[in-house]
Amino acid sequence: MTAATTSSAHAFWSNAAAGRARAVFAAEGIRCASCSRSIERALGGVSGVARVNVNVATSRVCVEWDPSKTQLDTILRTVAGAGFKPLPLAGEAAETAFARERRTALKRIGLAGLGMMQVMMYVFGVYVARPEAIDPAIASYLKYVGMAITTPVLVYSGAPFFVGAWHDLRRRTLGMDVPVALALCLAFVASVFNTVRGEGQTYFDSVTMFIFFLSAGRYVEMVVRQRSLSVSDAVGRSLPAQVARVKADGTTERVPIRAVVAGDTLQIPKGGVIPVDATLGSEVALVDESLVTGESRAERRAAGDALLGGSLSVGGAIRVVARRDVAGSTLASVVALLERAQGSRPQIARAADRVANGFVAATLLLALAVVAAWLVYDPSRAFPAALAVLVVTCPCALSLATPVAVAAASTKLARRGLLVTRADALERLAGVDTVVLDKTGTLTAAGRLSIVGMTMLGSLDKKQALAIAAALERSSSHPFAALFARHDQPEIAVVDLRDVDGRGVEARITLGIEPTFDLGARANVGGTRWRIGRHDFVSELAADTAAPPGDLGIYLGSENGLEALFELGEILRPEAFAAIERFRALGVEPIIASGDRGEAVDAARLALHVERASARLEPAGKLELIGELQAQGRHVLAIGDGVNDGPALAASNVSCAMGEGSAIAQAASDLLLLNDGLSVVGEAVATSRRMMQVIRQNLRWSLVYNLAAVPLAAFDLVPPWLAAIGMSASSLVVVLNARRLAAEKGAE
Amino acid sequence: MNILFVLIPLSLVLLGVSVWSLFWAIDTGQFENLDEAARGYENEEGPTNDGPSIKDRAK
Repeated sequence: MTAATTSSAHAFWSNAAAGRARAVFAAEGIRCASCSRSIERALGGVSGVARVNVNVATSRVCVEWDPSKTQLDTILRTVAGAGFKPLPLAGEAAETAFARERRTALKRIGLAGLGMMQVMMYVFGVYVARPEAIDPAIASYLKYVGMAITTPVLVYSGAPFFVGAWHDLRRRTLGMDVPVALALCLAFVASVFNTVRGEGQTYFDSVTMFIFFLSAGRYVEMVVRQRSLSVSDAVGRSLPAQVARVKADGTTERVPIRAVVAGDTLQIPKGGVIPVDATLGSEVALVDESLVTGESRAERRAAGDALLGGSLSVGGAIRVVARRDVAGSTLASVVALLERAQGSRPQIARAADRVANGFVAATLLLALAVVAAWLVYDPSRAFPAALAVLVVTCPCALSLATPVAVAAASTKLARRGLLVTRADALERLAGVDTVVLDKTGTLTAAGRLSIVGMTMLGSLDKKQALAIAAALERSSSHPFAALFARHDQPEIAVVDLRDVDGRGVEARITLGIEPTFDLGARANVGGTRWRIGRHDFVSELAADTAAPPGDLGIYLGSENGLEALFELGEILRPEAFAAIERFRALGVEPIIASGDRGEAVDAARLALHVERASARLEPAGKLELIGELQAQGRHVLAIGDGVNDGPALAASNVSCAMGEGSAIAQAASDLLLLNDGLSVVGEAVATSRRMMQVIRQNLRWSLVYNLAAVPLAAFDLVPPWLAAIGMSASSLVVVLNARRLAAEKGAE
Repeated sequence: MNILFVLIPLSLVLLGVSVWSLFWAIDTGQFENLDEAARGYENEEGPTNDGPSIKDRAK
């Protein structure tokens, strides 16, 4: 942990668990599969490094190591030594690094673009003029001018390609920069040679155009990557690198966020993030808890109220008192899980990477073959054809096809409160055909009760009993009071109301002017004493000595005896029905598996129109049920609370835990629902299927593009400038196609 | 056609000027946060025309 603390500027999050430390950081310059392999190989050589995972789409490196054998600094230095600059993931430092990267890239594009236009203007004359119509001195002069402009473009704007290729060659791998750098070098050297020699073709315009289009394509990729790279986009907000802590004398000091411990008072600026679960110290605050609840709405909080870590203070500057250390907060757990997911790579991407790796070697061989063939047939066309082949092939589209789609889908779901904690979870989710739902806490809202049954113990009917209960509870602040509120009839007058704390309410009921029901002889005008509440409290008044017939319930009784028992039970979450419907519409069969009583499960089953439900299942029984389903060849998604349903979640093909607070950190599930929006899980199934569709489209597109473009280039049918556009466009199509996933509005 | 020997170097100077001004614009953050200026009027403290977008980022 010491290494992580000293280098906290680089590694954003790090857990030391059982002799393991983990850090996730971004690395500048990761572009292709070969880059990720070189990082993995370089770190593999460091003793004590247990696991390395590199995600190309998000440029993230996730390293696990044994702190007793090596330090984070060594790891970061190794990564830097391999040619990749480690970057912090969030906070000001990351933003500065991103901005610097963007600016440099923009300058490179700008220089290449201006140079491209000028070179084209100058050499155009040489191209169109018949040889005898242009003075050889002028033609030579124009070529020299072209060279003068191309040189700085090549050196400044083309630098990333040469640097990338150099790193690749030094690591004895073939990245996608190798063919590009080779093409640029060949074209430039040949042009300079021909200019000095005074005869032959020059390609200065092609060189500048290559650089311009390739840089522009990379720029768009970079912006998209940066956006998905910042944790801020994935979970909605980011933790600031530093916070203002209020010292004892009232002044504030800037401290790193890691240093915040429970009990610290923090000053949060307007629009700032509340970094930890905290208590509001100011009078009033307006907070946006969309990170945790998924709902972007400003909520009012008063002094002393609990604030969730990760919410935004949208009202104004406030002071909060931290309730936990940063490491123990909800947000920290969420970020750690997200980091884990984004640091790893799904299976399908690994397969594409393997293909992409052989790709560059094949391209170089093909270019050689093209040169050889054209030298025999028509030597003058050998050079442009080879250039086109080198530039037009794009292994990048192939290796980006999957990761960008996964990143886009995860980002979209994260915004709606569903975290994907494992890289291949979405891939598995797409194949799900059965969903096993727990009832308590999943389909029903934990802690929310309703009246599920009434037993009449006296002569009143149900309507009368409810009306009297409502009248008694009219001014009570007890949570149960709300259950009766809608049965209240204002005509029933209540006097001598007495709220006996924790036991119930007692009052005299005098009927209104126009009684809506007849209480018969017992309703004397002076008013009968009634009680509502716990059994012992009510039976005391009613002089009833019988043992209570039920456990959880509210009794209503008067001096004349017990009248009614209201049975309380859980109510289904409002969105449970929509969620079940969504699953069904997607062809996923819902099955309820609960440890609860048969009647309760049956009630839920009927209410939700679910065909299959199993009650009274022990954890082992749920495990068995899932095993049976899987034996039938089904792919099971299990949804439950992370704690009790642990075994069932672990056995299913994809698991989704509904969690709150720090419990989510323990959940070993693939998906994590941070709010009550059960229907988001249905949405996730749909999104994952669309994601697989996009991945297939992307892979198909990059294969078709390469298969079509390479022969055309080899036969010299593609001018070099078009090859450059084609290559950039092929990666862009893949990236933008994936962005479609994130942009799509999910059906509510 | 000999005028080309004067005009083209002149245009190269112009090219240099445009590259220089583009670099200046990028370095001072003119292309960052393109919608910030448009949101300025929603800001209670008034528009930030000399504000963080240029000064802070140029550091």
